Amino acid sequence: MASRGLRTGLGDGTAHESFLRYRRYRWFKIAAILSLLLVIVYLVVDVHPRHNGGSWLGYGLGTIGAGLIVWLSLLGIRKRAMTRGRWSLKAWTSAHVYLGLALIFFGTLHTGFQFGWNVHTLAYVLMMLVILSGVYGISVYALLPQGLSDSRSEMTGPQMIEAVGSLDKQIQISAQPLSDEDSAIVLGSLGEDPFGGGLWSRLTGSHPRCGNMRALEIMRVRHDDSSGKEEQAIEQVLQLLEKKAAALQRLRGYIRRRALLEVWLFVHIPLTFVLFAALTAHIISVFFYW
Amino acid sequence: MAFLLRSISRSADGREIVRTSKVSDDLLKVGRDPECDIRLNDLAVALHHATIEQVSATRVGVSAEMGMSIELDGSNTQFGQIDLAIGGTIKIGPFLLRVMPPELGGEDVPIVIQRADSAEVLDKFDTRRFALQSVMPGKRLMAWSLTLAVLAIFLVWPIMSFYQNRDQADRMAGGFHPDSLWSTGALSQSHAALGSNCQACHVTPFEPVRDNACKTCHVSVHDHADLSRMQRATPQLGGLRRIQQSIGTWFGQTPGRCVECHTEHEGPQQMVATPQQFCADCHTDLRARLADTRLAAASDFETGHPEFQPLVLIQWDGNAPRFERVALNRRPLEQSNLKFPHALHLGALGGAAQAARANQLGARLECASCHTPTQDGTRFERVDMERNCGSCHSLSFDENGGTIRRLRHGSPEQVIADIRGLYRAGGPAFPPELSPGARGRPGDANQVRAAVQFARARAGVAARGERAIHAIFSAPRGTCYECHNIVAPPPGTLNYRIRPIQFTSRAGPGQPESGRYIEHGWFDHRAHQLVQRPGQRREEGSAACLSCHTGVRTSQRAADLLLPDLQSCRACHGGERTRLPVPSTCAMCHDYHMDRGVPAELLRQRTRGQRRPSTVAAACGGRR
Repeated sequence: MASRGLRTGLGDGTAHESFLRYRRYRWFKIAAILSLLLVIVYLVVDVHPRHNGGSWLGYGLGTIGAGLIVWLSLLGIRKRAMTRGRWSLKAWTSAHVYLGLALIFFGTLHTGFQFGWNVHTLAYVLMMLVILSGVYGISVYALLPQGLSDSRSEMTGPQMIEAVGSLDKQIQISAQPLSDEDSAIVLGSLGEDPFGGGLWSRLTGSHPRCGNMRALEIMRVRHDDSSGKEEQAIEQVLQLLEKKAAALQRLRGYIRRRALLEVWLFVHIPLTFVLFAALTAHIISVFFYW
Repeated sequence: MAFLLRSISRSADGREIVRTSKVSDDLLKVGRDPECDIRLNDLAVALHHATIEQVSATRVGVSAEMGMSIELDGSNTQFGQIDLAIGGTIKIGPFLLRVMPPELGGEDVPIVIQRADSAEVLDKFDTRRFALQSVMPGKRLMAWSLTLAVLAIFLVWPIMSFYQNRDQADRMAGGFHPDSLWSTGALSQSHAALGSNCQACHVTPFEPVRDNACKTCHVSVHDHADLSRMQRATPQLGGLRRIQQSIGTWFGQTPGRCVECHTEHEGPQQMVATPQQFCADCHTDLRARLADTRLAAASDFETGHPEFQPLVLIQWDGNAPRFERVALNRRPLEQSNLKFPHALHLGALGGAAQAARANQLGARLECASCHTPTQDGTRFERVDMERNCGSCHSLSFDENGGTIRRLRHGSPEQVIADIRGLYRAGGPAFPPELSPGARGRPGDANQVRAAVQFARARAGVAARGERAIHAIFSAPRGTCYECHNIVAPPPGTLNYRIRPIQFTSRAGPGQPESGRYIEHGWFDHRAHQLVQRPGQRREEGSAACLSCHTGVRTSQRAADLLLPDLQSCRACHGGERTRLPVPSTCAMCHDYHMDRGVPAELLRQRTRGQRRPSTVAAACGGRR
């Protein structure tokens, strides 16, 4: 056993194999077979008067499902210890993903498709939200990182900020000759927080009240209306504002991808704890009013 | 009088650079404009932002230009003064202008000009803000607050409400109660009124619903059978079900509780028919455990059900009827003492049909001409001679002043007396010769002759009356003889007697209490008024009746028991799982709670108007 474990451990180290493909989809196969069996049992077993959580099958599925939820949540503790071999973190994560998906079958068949405005359906909905957020997390991990490095144009995060910062300094200097009215407008660009906006702005990449964009639009008009020295000064500022707009877009694109990549954790993890609370209330209530 | 300006800036490597200049004036213009005395290179500063002015030897005044504002010693203002003895700080845009007290003996007012590194700027370029976390509430905060909220609303609140409202049924009767957040579904229609009162059934926490809770309202529900016999009759379950039951028992869910069949929280529906297995568990081989039972084995209507065994009057012990349950396949005869050929009465031709036409009952007699269903639809009103037969089988024997005189049905002595009276009334007049005091022909010879003649005439009348009485009670066309079995009179008398008429369904001496042929099953005639057997055409009226009561058209005697047999029902009714048009569980015909009334299921369906007068929907594949 030990030698086998050692071999596999070495094997793991030689070539990269994602946790999704771990051991040629071993956990996917296990989870798929489990789910299929479950569906067959559900269809074959005749529960009176109809399938529900209170039948023998319902209690069975509920017990297994609750146990599975506890085990799945243990990844949060397990992930802090990286090991190799059969019970490596990779194996564990792979099992977490596929057994987590199988939980959809355990949970849904446990309900017997009976839903209502009650604590039981609340627990089910929370469970589904946790699972779906996990599915989302896996999907963005698979799809987004490529886009993340593209969006940065080979720049690191601090470099992107630095670019905005130095443009701000240049704008500050170039805008000195401007009138009070014009400088107030340019100040709007300097006051713009590159990280501004809440969750929605970050997820959508939409910044409708961007100070830089507004300054750019107004200064373009001002440029058309001005002449002489003023026109020259405004033109210089305008060029810088345009450069800043590009820098901001790049920066915000990167922020958006990071937000899309990270947001599922703000659902997956807190809701797991809420799910535990709802599950506790669900189980206690069932036996309280038996 | 002068201002000593000391401008402090920082080189790229953080070194401090101080530039000093002197302005010999008592008024300083502050702004971004190159012509200002104090030039502040930042767009947040207006071209001409403020003016600093020496107003006295000890005070300096500061005033912002129109529309501008400054910050003087931490507060926003338009203008203000600084006491030179202590100095003060003016903030314009990102710059701090610190007005210092003049050096001892000097008059020049030193002003230190410095750019303030605002925290805002530092924050703006904090790389930690790349993470989404910077705009989200902490995961831990979200988890804890939502967790506590869920526990409080869905666990603590309902439990508190339970203990607060315990034993207060009136408070629980209506309104919202937090424990309804635990309800797994709406109650059945009959229990809908208990919807907000969870404690009506869930009496003790962590204890399964007990029968006592049901019996609070259902005080008159009969048990299925004697409890000790039921316990003996219950088989040892095998395999999974045994494990299931023992786990259930371990958790206090003892078998046989009301809620096993009467499941709740399945939505606003009626009670779902009890599954066949529930009955079959015991009844499949009841005799193996309950040797003295009279019930035959039954497991499935289609594949394991005994032939119907109606209770039949098979014999008379003198005037006492003897009833016995006899399977229909043994062709029992009902010794009712009635003579009634169904074939003759339902014929399309002949006297019965003619009489039906004469009495405007239709082209011929129909089943409904005589048989009237009872209100509950499961039985028929008793056939009454005068009402149902009388219009054709007349008992009239005389007309007197426009009044028809009829023989009294059910009283043979009265019949005999009435006939005698009729003939006596029509006898010879009493001769005056025989009356004392009356005037007749004189002479004994005349009186003797009158007496002889009168006696002869009277004897003739009496003989005619006796002949009439004999005829009524005798073959071939006696009025009573036509329908009744007659007991011949003792020799030399006219005391004819009628054998008593008796059926299972008719109250009388020695009559079984149930008053029904099929004692343990129910049949709803109203649900079969329109019949469509698989592969056959739709029948209604008498044809619908006769599609099941098949022997009626050919039956020549009343003794034929014309109940449909098992095979007849099985044309449409299968077991719980069947290919036949009507899947039928035990509960369709049998009631678990044994009493003599109509089964609860039939009554429920009737009161809800769901009982159909037709089998057509079922025959077409519909489910009831």
